Amino acid sequence: MAKDNNIYLPSKALIKDVTDLSCDVKLFKVMPEKKTQYLPGQFFMLSLWGTGEVPISITSTIGLQKHIELGIKKVGKVTSALHELKAGDTLWLRGPYGNNFNADISKGKDVIFIAGGIGILPLRSLINFVLMNKKEFGRVFLIYGSKNTSNMLFTQEIKQWAKKGLEIILTVDETDKRWKGSTGLVTGHLDKIKTDFKKASAYVCGPEIMIENTMKELSLRGMPDKLITTTLEARMKCGMGKCGQCYHGIEYICTNGPVYSYEEMKKRLY
Amino acid sequence: MKASLVLDKNSLSYWLRQIRKESNLIAPMRSVNGDIVFESVDQIHEVVLDYPLPPPPVKEFISPQMEGMFEYKRDNISDLRDRQKRVVFGARSCDISAMNITDKFFGGETEPSYDKRHPNKKFKDSYYFSRRQNIVFISLGCNNPAPTCFCQSLGTGPFLDKGFDIQLVDLADRYFVETGSNEGEKLINKHRHLFTEAQKQDYDDRYEAFLSSVSKFEKRVNLEEIRQMIIDGKVPEALWEWVAERCFECGGCVYECPVCTCFNIVDCPHSKDTGKRFKIWDTCFFKGFTQTAGGNIPAEKKVLRTKRWWFHKVLYDLEQFTSFGCVGCGRCTITCPGRIDIATVSEKIKRWR
Repeated sequence: MAKDNNIYLPSKALIKDVTDLSCDVKLFKVMPEKKTQYLPGQFFMLSLWGTGEVPISITSTIGLQKHIELGIKKVGKVTSALHELKAGDTLWLRGPYGNNFNADISKGKDVIFIAGGIGILPLRSLINFVLMNKKEFGRVFLIYGSKNTSNMLFTQEIKQWAKKGLEIILTVDETDKRWKGSTGLVTGHLDKIKTDFKKASAYVCGPEIMIENTMKELSLRGMPDKLITTTLEARMKCGMGKCGQCYHGIEYICTNGPVYSYEEMKKRLY
Repeated sequence: MKASLVLDKNSLSYWLRQIRKESNLIAPMRSVNGDIVFESVDQIHEVVLDYPLPPPPVKEFISPQMEGMFEYKRDNISDLRDRQKRVVFGARSCDISAMNITDKFFGGETEPSYDKRHPNKKFKDSYYFSRRQNIVFISLGCNNPAPTCFCQSLGTGPFLDKGFDIQLVDLADRYFVETGSNEGEKLINKHRHLFTEAQKQDYDDRYEAFLSSVSKFEKRVNLEEIRQMIIDGKVPEALWEWVAERCFECGGCVYECPVCTCFNIVDCPHSKDTGKRFKIWDTCFFKGFTQTAGGNIPAEKKVLRTKRWWFHKVLYDLEQFTSFGCVGCGRCTITCPGRIDIATVSEKIKRWR
């Protein structure tokens, strides 16, 4: 009986494949038992029996990857336990939850993706979506910064993106001998992008401080606040606006977010 | 309002006994250590009717302190939703008013003006409503508000006009009985012969009781005034620092507050792949409440947490549900060891220099 459905019960999903993206980030390809639709920017509540439940953003794109792909960094209790799992093991999912990236606002415009560290994970879902529908958008750029070369995720896939027309600037904080790309903060490379910022749109994800500074820098270059988008993270227990743990002012990031424009952030996250 | 009736006090215990045959009857009882708490009734004559202060909130029966959500056993999940039939006798107007707010919160029924800016999916909490749909409240209007009560200032008591299942008002030898919902009406209709139609004298006496109750309130709290002051920037940061300095971070106010709803979800494993998942009350006053996996705590400073609780009660709830997140029960006044309850801080805000 659909009406009596318990919204807190997760459903089973099978791990099809696990690959290392870096020393502490793994990519899990997951097939849920129930057919599941999702949009770029949304997240799942992922459970492992006995360790708990965590919100995990989706990094795959419907229509491109067969399975749901979740890129997970080993940080806490659940993610550490998750890193022990291998293909054939099961995990439990609820969702997807949250709003999604609005790609419509960027149609006909140049699109700039700016990622810091594992911030590339939720953006990848949208990058692939935009590249799949490339003719609807203008030029597409990516500035991707990570701590060092070994922390850079999706290095092979980035080469594919370049072939599909994505203009890429890669930057690291700590350089090494093999590194031929740029160094320094992502904001330091904004002016290398050949676009009219006043007419472009941007999607930003990374550490909080990086998000804040990047959005500010974009706004200073004349990009309209409502075209600067980010996705936020918070502690979440329910994902459905009930438990209260992800509060940010009046907002519950799980249901009202996690995707926010700079305009909304300025207005509502007081 | 559906019906106005009268119940002779001599018939009360018979009525309650009949109710108990079909439901778990819960009422204010004196516990072994002398406190008055809501409990399953064993002996009907031990129900406490003249308690001076509202006992701990009845939210315990709709959203308990700790509730098993489901048991997991490898690939199987067994749902532990509670569907027990309950009748709560003796809840007070403030608790009923609070529940009308939490019904909206857990039902995802926010105001259209709020929804317009937040057009995202709304959820109906399965655990809250499995209990809520099986519970009927027989509430008691307050003839003798405690010195800590200020429901009158918020329109959430001492008597209610709507939002209750059944409301009783004590008229010395009899109760004035009002039904406000279908569930309430059903409970009365099963034993309709115990009730008589209210006459003019009964209405007059009820009004008399109301006037008498209203005159007894010692506290006045104007939260609308406080809200305006916050919006106008008339409440300085120094005041919130003053509040934070006095906060013990015990969470008592939140646990006792009938409107507070936040919870955590934890697993209690029995073995590697068997165990139970729980919902458990949590409070935004605890530092770890917002802590993310990397160890980052967005609301690490205490002042951010105390201030946010206030903003939630006075600003945010109003925007979402057209009512303050406070019903004036005064439980925080009784509980708070730092004396930074809603009533005291409201007073402090007005007098801050």
